[in-house]
Formats: sequence, C-alpha cells, structure tokens
Amino acid sequence: MNPPLRLALGGMNRVFLHCASLLVSRDQRVDWRREWSAELWHMRRSCPPSELFSWKAEQAAAAFCLGAFQDAFCVRGIRRENREVAPSQHGSAGECLFWLAGLLALSCILACVLPGVYVESHPAHYQINPGLILLQSDLFTDSSAATITGQQFLDLKASRQRGIDGLAFYRMTKETLSPGLHAKPKWAVAHASFNLFALLGGPESFAAVSSEPSGGLPPVVLSDELWKREFNGNPKVIGNVVRVGRIAARVFGVLPRGSWRLPGRADAWLLQPNTEISRSAVGYVVAHTTRFGQAEMYDDRLHINAFVTDDPDADLWGVSFDERTRGPWTIFRFAVFLAFLALPAITSVSLGESCFSSHRPSLARNLYRWVFLSTKIVLLLSIAYFASLDLSYWNATGYSALSEYAQLASSFFICLFGMRWILLDQRERFPVCLRRVTHPAQVGQASRTFLAWNGTELMCTSGHTLLHVPGLPTSWFGTQRWMYLDTSWKFLFAGTGVG
Amino acid sequence: MVSQMKLSHTAAMILQAIDTGCVYGFSIMEMTGLPSGTVYPAMRRLERDELISSRWERQSIADAEQRPARKYYKLTAAGRVTLEGSRKRYPLLQRMIPSEEAKSL
Repeated sequence: MNPPLRLALGGMNRVFLHCASLLVSRDQRVDWRREWSAELWHMRRSCPPSELFSWKAEQAAAAFCLGAFQDAFCVRGIRRENREVAPSQHGSAGECLFWLAGLLALSCILACVLPGVYVESHPAHYQINPGLILLQSDLFTDSSAATITGQQFLDLKASRQRGIDGLAFYRMTKETLSPGLHAKPKWAVAHASFNLFALLGGPESFAAVSSEPSGGLPPVVLSDELWKREFNGNPKVIGNVVRVGRIAARVFGVLPRGSWRLPGRADAWLLQPNTEISRSAVGYVVAHTTRFGQAEMYDDRLHINAFVTDDPDADLWGVSFDERTRGPWTIFRFAVFLAFLALPAITSVSLGESCFSSHRPSLARNLYRWVFLSTKIVLLLSIAYFASLDLSYWNATGYSALSEYAQLASSFFICLFGMRWILLDQRERFPVCLRRVTHPAQVGQASRTFLAWNGTELMCTSGHTLLHVPGLPTSWFGTQRWMYLDTSWKFLFAGTGVG
Repeated sequence: MVSQMKLSHTAAMILQAIDTGCVYGFSIMEMTGLPSGTVYPAMRRLERDELISSRWERQSIADAEQRPARKYYKLTAAGRVTLEGSRKRYPLLQRMIPSEEAKSL
C-alpha cells in the first residue's frame, strides 16, 4: 500500500479514538485513550506480515477504532449512574459557596448593566479638584439651597480673601433649547462663570474653557441625557449653534453621565462672562480653598467673613464637596462597621465548638473550616456591596443624599442578617465534613429540664456525628454539643454511600 | 447476591475467555470473535459489577519489549462464582472456549 495513504489511514484511526475519547469524562480520558491506543497497536501487530499493509487490515483497524465510540458511550453511562448513586451535594460546603458565588455574580452583572450603579461605583467619573467648597449664606442650613446673589459673588471676587481663591458662580433656570427634537419642554440650564469647569477639573477639554472664546458665542455644555433625548446622541451636534432661551450659544461638548455632583440638577451649562451675571439672581458659588483656608476648616466647613459693601454682617460658610464625591466605598465600610457592632445583639457569635468527647478535628480540617468561614464572609461582603449599590443607585443620575442613605441602610441590613445566617449555618455544619446536620428530632421532655436534658438532636447524613442542641440552656448544658460517632455506626449510613 | 447474577451469553463468553487466559481486550476479541464495540463495553460492565478487575502492566516490562503497556483483566472471586453459574446455564460455553485444563485433556 502507498505509504502516504497508510499514514493517512493511521491518522484517521487516531482521530476516531481522539473523537471517541471526548465522550469520556475528563478524569477518565487519559487512561481510556491509553488503553485503546495500546490495544490498537497490538491489533496492528497481530496481523500476519503479508496482510500488515493491506486494505483488509486497514478495514479491520477502522472497524476496531469505531468500536471505541460504543465503549466511550458505555463508560460515560456508567459514570452517570455512579454520579446518581453518589451522595447528594445538598447541604454541602460546595453547594453553599456555589449559591453565594451565584448571588455575587448576579449582583455584579446588575452593577455593570445599570448605568446609575456603574457610574456610582467608579468614583473617577465624578472626581473634582481637591480643596473645593460650596459657599453658602450663614442664614441657611440646607447645603443644597442656592443662597448667594450675583452681586455677592461679584463683591467676593473683587475683595481679597485669605481662605479662598478661584471663585465660580452658577444659577439654575428653566429654558427652552432650539433647534431640538422637542420644542416645548424646558430644560434645567445652569448659567455659569467661564471658569466653572476649569475650577472643578474633570474632563480636560472642559477645563480648557476658562475664558471667553474668540468666536463671540458663549459655549454650552450638554448633559448626556439631554444630548440623547434632544439630539438622538448625534456627535455632529458638537460645534453647532443652538439657542438657549434667547441666547445663541455654541455646543462645546457633552458632560458624561454622573459627572455633575454639585447642587442643582442641570441639563445644560451655559458658560458666560461675569459681566453677564444677573446681580439679583440667586445661585451657587464654588471656591477653592487656600492653604490657610484648609487649615481653618473644621468638620468639613470653613467660616468666611464676607466683607461685602452692602451687608457687612452676611457671613458665609464654605462646605466641602467631599461628602458628594467620596463614592460608595466609604459608606459601605461604615455600614459594615455598624453591622459588626450590632451583630452580638441579634445572635451569639460562638461557633458551637463544645463536644462530648475529647475528639478534636485535625489541624488541616480546622484550617479548612476556617477557610470556608472566611470565604463565606468575603462572598457575603461582596454581595452586600454590589447588591446595596444595585438597590440604591439603579436609577440615580447624579448625587442624591437619599441614595446614600439607602446604600447605608441596605448594606447594614444585608451585612447584619447575612452574618447572622453565616454564624447559624457554621454552627450547624459538622467540623469535619462541613455538611449541614439534618433530620431534627425532639428528645426528652421540656417538663423534665432539670432532671434530664431535652432538646433537639440533629444528624450528619455522612454518619460522622450527632448534634445536641439544648431546648433550654442550663448551667450544665448551656450550648450545643457535637457527639462524634465511631465506625461502628457506619452500617446505619450504608445506604448513603458515604461514611 | 452476586452468585445469583445472571449474565448474558456474551458476558459469559467474555468471562470464560478471561478465565482461559485471555487477559487483555484484543485477545478476548480474538478468542470470542466478538467486535470491539461489544467486548470493551461488556468488560466495563463486568468491572462495574466487580466480576473482573483490571490493572496496568508495569511500564518497565512494556518498555523492555518495546511496546505500549497493556491493561490486564482478571476474574474476581465473585466473577468465578458467577462464571460457574453461567457454565451451568450455557453448557456449550466451555466447548466454544475451552479452558486450559480442558485443552490439556
């Protein structure tokens, strides 16, 4: 026979065996393939020399290799039968971790899919320059209220302040925007100083708008939502002239979703020179604190003496933006701290170590048990972080104190009750096999508490132990106890295939 | 329980072949005339039922003879008992595959 043809047929036989081996489970595959390869080799050598390279021999070899598929199916079937007989995974440590990991994956996916959560969980999206404060009148306590008039801002800017520099002003109005897809609705427009974005930092291109453009038309920055709703997300709108109320402006750019963390929800920011600022309009003033101002700050607040001409007694407070830009991680850490503080109030933190005999699990088993407990806690904290973000910020478009409170509350409760469940679950897991004890049985009579023990007896389905939980804790039986079963009990659990 | 196990004729032939000294898959095929797609699955089931057991030949032996190592099969005690029962059930079994003792006679 032609040697290349013989090689090709030999290769085909090996392909048959390889394909058949894919039907066999991975852990049996190497052994199975080794046996069939050896058998094929011996089969080829068994042919008489005259038939060694003949069509008949090749046909026999191919038929031999095709039989491997039937064998592979058989091995696979036996494997499946064995798996059905194998002890159930119900209540095992693996099952517990599987469900926790599943919950974590779900909350992570939601955090990536929900736009509000995605923005909130990436503080880089809304970071502003450090040392910025919001100036407010001493007479107001609401940190999100507009309290400074345009005149006050101009006076502040003209006067020399030790604690602050780099002031910017903005005020909120409702204006129409044209040409847009929808002519009627009015959008929230912030009339702001040119240097607002330069002061805030953020996107570099916006920071560049700090002086009046040479073109004459003031720049307008659109919010992501407005850009999508009024301009269908068309990137060509950048540079076009639009009319904001009565003012013609050139679209400078689109502010990414979630970037605006300052008070006042704005859909567009019209940047104007300070000479255009209405002196009677009330708005917000953002300022940068000097080194002296930062040293003077107390509890994230800075007191500023407003040496203004018309009202010498109107002092101001500078409130730090740290609260608005700190991100969810700080809140989460605080919630976890509170939950761990509150935990002893709702459950015992004991792991139920006491046992009837002197039997102690090996060091490796003890380590395994602690690793399992630690893994559960890590998974729970991760779930609490992402789930609280999902619940609190699923529809958030910017900073919201309500969302922060929601995150604090949801993180706290998930951590608190999750930790309670983890401790209860750990107490009901046998320290050796980490399976949950089952089949609770009431033992004894409650009326005889002080004569004999009564309570609940639970059993490890692997036949390792019994767990005795007292119905009424007494001085001589205060906490649950494990009773290790020796090998003489094995026959009772023979049906489970374990023990 | 095992002694009462009733085997198919094919399985009984394979047990008989192993008993006669055909201790690896291809030799059983040659002895019984059954195709590979029948012999190997039947041997898996016999092994599952603990009527036969398998072991790998030592690699050093195979290397010395310049061939791949074989997987050898042998009857277990339960397998011998079952084979005795099968011989009664299939009287022609020993004629088809005579044992070593029968051959020497």
